[in-house]
Amino acid sequence: MAENAFLGIDVGSISTKAVIIDESNTILAQEYIWTEGNPIGAVKRLLGHLEKQFDRTAWQIVGVGATGSARRLVGSIVGATVVKNEITAHAVGTTTFHPEVRTILEIGGQDSKIILVENGIAVDYAMNTLCAAGTGAFLTSQARRLGIEVEEMGAYALRSSHPTMIAARCTVFAESDLVHKIQMGHPREDIIAGVCRAVVSNYINNVGKGKKICSPVVFQGGVSKNEGVVRAFEDLLKCPVLVDEIGHLMGAMGAAILARRSLKRTVFDFSVGNMDFITRERSCGGCSNNCEVICVYRDGKMIDFWGNRCERGAAKLGGELSENSRG
Amino acid sequence: MSGIPVIGIPRAMLYYRYGLLWERFFETLGVSTILSSPGNREILDTGAARAPDEGCLAVKMFMGHVESLIGRCERIFIPRYSNYGTTALFCTRYEALYDGARNIFRTSGQRFITCNIDAQNGSPEPKAFERFGVELGFSPKESHRAWKEASRALEQQKKAEEQAQKEMIRNPGIKVLVAGHSYVLSDPYLGKPILDYLISSEAICLRTDALEEETSRRACAQFSPTCRWIVSEEVVGAVLLWKDRVDGIVLVSAFPCGPDSMTNELLIRRIRGVPVLTLNLDTQSGMAGVETRLESFLDIIRFQRGEMV
Repeated sequence: MAENAFLGIDVGSISTKAVIIDESNTILAQEYIWTEGNPIGAVKRLLGHLEKQFDRTAWQIVGVGATGSARRLVGSIVGATVVKNEITAHAVGTTTFHPEVRTILEIGGQDSKIILVENGIAVDYAMNTLCAAGTGAFLTSQARRLGIEVEEMGAYALRSSHPTMIAARCTVFAESDLVHKIQMGHPREDIIAGVCRAVVSNYINNVGKGKKICSPVVFQGGVSKNEGVVRAFEDLLKCPVLVDEIGHLMGAMGAAILARRSLKRTVFDFSVGNMDFITRERSCGGCSNNCEVICVYRDGKMIDFWGNRCERGAAKLGGELSENSRG
Repeated sequence: MSGIPVIGIPRAMLYYRYGLLWERFFETLGVSTILSSPGNREILDTGAARAPDEGCLAVKMFMGHVESLIGRCERIFIPRYSNYGTTALFCTRYEALYDGARNIFRTSGQRFITCNIDAQNGSPEPKAFERFGVELGFSPKESHRAWKEASRALEQQKKAEEQAQKEMIRNPGIKVLVAGHSYVLSDPYLGKPILDYLISSEAICLRTDALEEETSRRACAQFSPTCRWIVSEEVVGAVLLWKDRVDGIVLVSAFPCGPDSMTNELLIRRIRGVPVLTLNLDTQSGMAGVETRLESFLDIIRFQRGEMV
């Protein structure tokens, strides 16, 4: 008799992550790949990788949690039992593995967030507002400018003993400041360490504004793999910063745990990896808002839609949807 | 007469604060009016194309409403709200709306009319509406009576709103105080989706603008004696008065709002013990970012109440 397992998928702007866990949160399979601007393709590839790692005779997936910025899209494709925002998913995942944590720092490809925890319960959070200053996307573009891989940045930064001062307020200014410092002849190590520092002070001044950062601090998200940024956090916060070895999977882990905790059970099989999914943007046209509605089609039939602000859009597309589900 | 309404009222900015007063004033005098349609994407887009680049989102929306009224009324009514005395000032954007709109639409042939509320320069609200009525062709006495009636109606509406809110706060569910300018919170395209989302997620929505203004302003004066604008004082004061009775506070702001950029900073840094979420609204379409933030904010509240998940 196969035992229950739970799949958690976290589809972010840059990377797509997944874990399969058992009833006691032990990881049975895990994968981390690039989204490459194609969340549907990424999930299909992801499922392909997981299938190979996973013993389907011993385990049966009975719940699927989706999170990340493409959670809605991916949730409807894989038939998720739980669709949750990434803040909640990260909080649930992290407090499960680090019940003593007080502050969770998270910097991803496009978003950054801070979650404050008391007694294992998330009590407050903040997220970057309008701009994506100081997130992974910024580090990637600056690495390219400096002619190195983003993965190498940490090692360069750790070799620096005099990080260059880089304006941290806004990444557009940071970038022109950085170019100026390059042209002035600052060593590359110092500039890279300066960029890491700029990311951290930007984070503390914007996302962490007014928040009391208490130890123990856990740092996760793709940027936590950059040791230069970890070091800069430790210097500026004056406390140790813990980077979990599965920190990059915490969102997926949280989604899987939420699927486990929820009472909804649906057997998941890997066949969705072979189905054909497309999305189309349609202008609703029901009123002057002209909402951009996203429709998802499986093998040519609409299975879900969203983006409409009002019921007019729902009425218009909902008819088509229910016709398909009957058919 | 041309057969079109005499006065056009843009449904934006201070309409959401004084709309009832204006409408009742015109109604009592028997002046026909037309109100622009509720805010939507199209109105915002046309407004954004006409308004000054550095104007806030609400001003952009306002100019869209003005444009939608052009040619549909004899005159578009844009009051100039400057101050109610030396310690009761309005944001300079409100002061500039009349001149701004007249200048932006100067080639349209449309006529505009204002009512100048500027107590510091001899034009307090009663006087201002009296003069305004005279300009519309009524006697000072008729005009004054119309203002008085309109003013009473607005006061009653405010009292009813505050009463309703006081009853809501006794409810045992999750209570979220939504803080911001009325023209952001009430606009069907800007702030209302936020309130709708919260309500559909079974939260009880309280609003800073439903509290009696004087009470809020007094509470703010003790907290920050230098807070400059009337509406900022009301928002800050209402947050202070109710922060201990709600489960969370959402600060909603139309980017780039100068006054909010000061007061929201102040509130984020000084309010303790209750989760605070800041939402800056800009011209981006789609509610995805806002919904992520609201959903996780409500999750945090539910975690704390032990209701999770």
